[in-house]
Amino acid sequence: MRALVAATTGLAVAFALVFAITALGSPTGETSPKPLLTTVPPHP
Amino acid sequence: MRRKTSLVLLALAVFFAALSPLLRWYAFPRLAKIPANEYQHMVLEARNATLLDYGTMTAKKVPKVTIVQTLKGNVEASEKIERTAGRDVVVWDGLSYVQGPDGKMVSKVPERYIFDAHTQEPVHAKGEMVDGDPVKREGLEFKWPFLTEKRDYEYFDAQARVTAPIHYKGTQDFRGVEVYYFEQTIPWTRVPFPKTMPVKGITPETVAETGTTRWYTTVRKFWVEPVTGAPVYGEEIHKEELRGGTLLGGREKVTAFAGHVKMREDYIRSTVDLVRSNRTAVLLMTSYLPWGFLALGVLLLSLSLYLEARGRRPGEPEPGRSPAPEPVTA
Repeated sequence: MRALVAATTGLAVAFALVFAITALGSPTGETSPKPLLTTVPPHP
Repeated sequence: MRRKTSLVLLALAVFFAALSPLLRWYAFPRLAKIPANEYQHMVLEARNATLLDYGTMTAKKVPKVTIVQTLKGNVEASEKIERTAGRDVVVWDGLSYVQGPDGKMVSKVPERYIFDAHTQEPVHAKGEMVDGDPVKREGLEFKWPFLTEKRDYEYFDAQARVTAPIHYKGTQDFRGVEVYYFEQTIPWTRVPFPKTMPVKGITPETVAETGTTRWYTTVRKFWVEPVTGAPVYGEEIHKEELRGGTLLGGREKVTAFAGHVKMREDYIRSTVDLVRSNRTAVLLMTSYLPWGFLALGVLLLSLSLYLEARGRRPGEPEPGRSPAPEPVTA
């Protein structure tokens, strides 16, 4: 019975962690202030 | 104490074993995406190209034609579209700026490309365009999906505004990176004149009045790193002609541009470096971590079972239980 509780706990924590990380996602940031280029840049 | 340790190890074993498939098949498709605020530029060159001189309306050999391509993620526009689309969307405002050997503008074509941040499938929304003309893209443009497959894809051609297959032609090694080589041929197709022409006073409307039409064909080649879906190199064998009408002075056709367009060397190096580092990040989620967690889970489970087995060795009293009392005799 204690083994079952331990296994269930591990499983629940794994699901909770993955759901939390994916729900947080990544920040979108802001549009770059750099222009659309009309000159040839000297380097990348 | 040994029993408690084996239970903790069991919980950890299940945790890591469960994390392995969850990371690969649940988290990865949701976390791997093109950032909405991406900004990148690319320089391509066509050496010894043929270019139309609009002053004399004759084709001339020129040492170099340069194409500067900028892609800029428009975060505000993507957030606006996401509200109705209900998924992560990227809006790329792009500009293809073509410059002649004298540094003067040959053409500039803006476009707006809207696509799903995870799958790179096009998303149709207001504002999607090429050179100001509304379009409804099908297929890919610029980038392949993460975990690109060895198969043909549909690719959108911005010049002709058509979608056509881009064929998988094999796996190659490009500067130490395994890449899939794709090729698309667009046959001679009548295409619109760019809205911005290289000579002042000439507009697509004034050219249309002369009856002259613009035709284009290209062989598009991409070397795509399959894990990230990012092209590490690209080439185009590109030809444009003006045909018919009074503008050509009785000639049937004249070459407007012909050249073998290739990425500039410094951009190839920087793209390969960028793709290599992004590849590692994607592999971390699709391979390194899932397999690592699975192995760790198995190891912890073995350790847990070992401790449990040792705790139950025959002949030894079970932990926490006192030996049976001796019978008392009078």
